[in-house]
Amino acid sequence: MLRMENVSKIYRTELVETHALRNVNLHIKSGEFVSVTGPSGSGKTTFLNLAGALETFEEGDYFLDGQNVKGLSDDRLSEIRNEKIGFIFQSFNLLPDLPLFDNVDVPLRYRGMSSKERKERIEHALETVGLASRMKHLPTQLSGGQQQRVAIARAIAGSPKFLLADEPTGNLDSLMAQQVMELLEDINSKGTTIIMVTHDDQLARRAHRNIQIFDGQVSDIEKAVANDVMRSA
Amino acid sequence: MFNYNFQLALKSLKDRPSLTFLTILTIAIGLGFYTTVKTMSYQGGQVPLAHKSNNIFLVQMDNREITAEEVAHQSRLVDTTYKDTLNLMAMDLPGVKQTFNWSTYGILNVEDENINPLRTFAAVTSSDFFTMFEPPFIFGNGWDKSVETSGEGVIVISKLMNDQLFGGKNSVGENVRIGTHTLKIIGVLDTWHLTRKFYDRSFSTARPDNFFIPYTFAMENNLPRRAGFDCWAGNADISRSFRTENTERLINSECAWVTFWAEIPDDQVENYKQQLNNYIEGQKALGRFPREILTYVTNLNDQFTYINGRNDFMNVFSLMSTLFFAVCLLNAVGIILAKFMRRTKEVSLRRALGAKKKTIIAQHVIEVVIIGLLGGLLGIVVAYFGLQGMMNIQIYASDYTRRVEDLQPLYALDLAMVANAFLTGIFCTLITSIYPIWRLCNTPPASQLKSQ
Repeated sequence: MLRMENVSKIYRTELVETHALRNVNLHIKSGEFVSVTGPSGSGKTTFLNLAGALETFEEGDYFLDGQNVKGLSDDRLSEIRNEKIGFIFQSFNLLPDLPLFDNVDVPLRYRGMSSKERKERIEHALETVGLASRMKHLPTQLSGGQQQRVAIARAIAGSPKFLLADEPTGNLDSLMAQQVMELLEDINSKGTTIIMVTHDDQLARRAHRNIQIFDGQVSDIEKAVANDVMRSA
Repeated sequence: MFNYNFQLALKSLKDRPSLTFLTILTIAIGLGFYTTVKTMSYQGGQVPLAHKSNNIFLVQMDNREITAEEVAHQSRLVDTTYKDTLNLMAMDLPGVKQTFNWSTYGILNVEDENINPLRTFAAVTSSDFFTMFEPPFIFGNGWDKSVETSGEGVIVISKLMNDQLFGGKNSVGENVRIGTHTLKIIGVLDTWHLTRKFYDRSFSTARPDNFFIPYTFAMENNLPRRAGFDCWAGNADISRSFRTENTERLINSECAWVTFWAEIPDDQVENYKQQLNNYIEGQKALGRFPREILTYVTNLNDQFTYINGRNDFMNVFSLMSTLFFAVCLLNAVGIILAKFMRRTKEVSLRRALGAKKKTIIAQHVIEVVIIGLLGGLLGIVVAYFGLQGMMNIQIYASDYTRRVEDLQPLYALDLAMVANAFLTGIFCTLITSIYPIWRLCNTPPASQLKSQ
């Protein structure tokens, strides 16, 4: 599904060169639920941006659903984001002056679908998140948890290959966070790969697999534990 | 996708209506002023008799003394002498029409004692003046050659004079007196719109003459002559006297004071010039034309190109209006930039969700085109009132001697200028919005979507 080989990302200014990611080697299989943790500034968001083809990288290769995205044109990357990736943000990033229906409609518009198909997908997505009855409401008329559910609906409406969630529960209280996590688990159980950045260890443990990023370098918790066991042996 | 982008553009325009209105107003004010001046320049620079302006020629021959200064441009060369005028008129030139004119003046009276006498100027000319320059008639017509042969006293008057002296009725057959001379009205001209009074070489913006009199009558009755006499060969000292006396001497002199025109078909122009040269060669044999042969046969188009190019006031005014429009556009760009940059987060989100750069560009181009269209529309309204204002200033500056109907065509927004304003509004708004659109579309999406 997603394979990074020796991927590095460097931010350069006139004075400073920052290695946000160094030689990342990672393979995420289809259907996995992967949590990404690490301290602030470790490179989690950079990793998510690269995974979502929102940023380019200097070294290495990144294979997304079998296709190497390195060197692809901006238009082609936009198409890949639209067809294969669903984004969920900490701050929801809904368009405040559009009703829920039109918010979920945004990625579908850029797919060139007919209005009939778009309507069906939007209604199904909002039903999945339990907000089909409020599709004419504006985001400001919803709670935080509901808004995040709309964002999830927007992310899954186009049947993406995987979801990228950047701190999806970061702005929610524990009850709403629980609801959102259950929703994500439900979506994952139906086959959608999910990569979720989180600061919450409890939520991280609910994933199948945890990846830690520290100083721009990625390590699998499972692999790290195995190495510790071997060293202590 | 176009429909979706159009809807997004409309939504964006309604989003901050005050900013949208300010942008449109800024463009409209600049475009309105620019269009006002451009219209004045365009209308004022229109060449009369457009359908044959390439075939109406001012004819000049250099008959001056050998010591006279060189002339670099036809505008600096003198008019024609009276004897050369008659000689050219007598030449057999198939397909060619010729005419000439100078100005006279006097006190004009009518029989109605309730109408006060008025001091007036008149054009003295020949019969072909009316067929060549096509002034419009509302009553009657001009005279023919038989009138010139007989020396009959006839006159063609303007609509302004007809309204003033005869209450606008058909005055053909009525008599007027200039000094002690009685002339019968044979024609009344309608308002004759000329951007410039070209036929007397003044190229002024004054209205055409109010009266037209046959040259034979004017010469036989020694009507005063209002002209610049370019004299030599012993006549320079008495040139002023030629205005009212010494007519016989004037007729035979080398004084140039008659403006001479010819209407020449395209295929006859070179032949005409050759005939002119042949005439001068013949006159040289008689001891005239001491200088090297120099003739100018300049058509109306070329003359107006020269005059319009030297219209310093209008050129400076046009430059100022263009600069003002540019400043307004820069202001509008600033507002558009501020408006667009408020939208970077939304654009970044759309890009993250799959919108291509060109789709985002298309959405904002549509918005900018709508702004340009609305700015153009409002700009035309501003231009209309601007032109009305300029026309009223002109009327005031003329001490109200100029009338609205005289000046209206010079301040009229025709279809060409309206289309020009629209296209200029859209095009300029688009061009100046390239930078804001570029800035917006090149903002890295990830930078705007970071977690808080």
